[in-house]
Amino acid sequence: MNELEQINRNTDQSFLNSPAGKLTSLEMYDKYGAMAYGIILQILPQPHLAQEVLVSVFSSPLLQSCNSYPFTFAVCIIKLARAKAVEAKRKLAAVSSPPLDIRSDAAENSPQQIFDLAFRQGFSPEEVAEKLNISKPEVLRSLHAFFKSNRDA
Amino acid sequence: MNTQDLITSGIPESYLLGLASPEEQELVQQKMLDNPELAAYMANLENHVLSYFDANAVSPPQDVREIVHLRSRKGNSQKRKHVFNRIPKQENYSKGPYLEVEVSDTYIKVHKYWRPAFITVFILSKIFLIAGLYFYFKSSSQEQELFRLKSQIQQIK
Repeated sequence: MNELEQINRNTDQSFLNSPAGKLTSLEMYDKYGAMAYGIILQILPQPHLAQEVLVSVFSSPLLQSCNSYPFTFAVCIIKLARAKAVEAKRKLAAVSSPPLDIRSDAAENSPQQIFDLAFRQGFSPEEVAEKLNISKPEVLRSLHAFFKSNRDA
Repeated sequence: MNTQDLITSGIPESYLLGLASPEEQELVQQKMLDNPELAAYMANLENHVLSYFDANAVSPPQDVREIVHLRSRKGNSQKRKHVFNRIPKQENYSKGPYLEVEVSDTYIKVHKYWRPAFITVFILSKIFLIAGLYFYFKSSSQEQELFRLKSQIQQIK
């Protein structure tokens, strides 16, 4: 069970009736649809598939959990969009071709590449560490370095 | 693990991106409650992550919005099925033996005996239909037979 599902268990199921202070799925879409679509396109470059995933994100019951999320709606939607896109990408890869072997030498283990593997390719930090022959703390530190370098740039 | 170590460990980033393990999520949530420095860092990081993804935002086609709208409406209507607003018990006894319920859907409920009654009526209608057809064809053949016999008698005469 992921984090969103855990929160969802404790969430009032009737939020879609839009009580005060809670956003409906359409309001969320208007606000964060473009961002979610951008994230999905990074993971699934095919526009028609990306649009299907986008619809499934904003019609998902898991979207309810965003109303009780400790951070902003946007962070919750980022997680949900990534999770759905990665799931669709895995299904697509299962029927089309075997997964790519991404083993590479240590010189290519840049924060950008690690972020790409972990966020866009859908690998867990443990899987990334195993594929790149580095430790999991190094993978996590690379994520920190990635956002730090973006912030400083 | 002190605050600075936690910040540089990359666990907050993995937490915001949904990559953290349950133990790491628990650690971040616990530390944020009693550590204002970490809470401030998380708020700052959250803004930064959002600006990063906002920079890569792509406007989806207008049709997608319509589909989301339809799906969300469909989901709402399914959730509202079979909602009964029962009137408090004391009022029911004063008004009679029936419970007054306000039904907010398009379905009706009937007594369970309606099913065998409907089946019985259906079977009887089929029996009467078959019997009607049988006697219709029988009477028409008898009429033909009668006509044939009459014509034979006339020929004999």
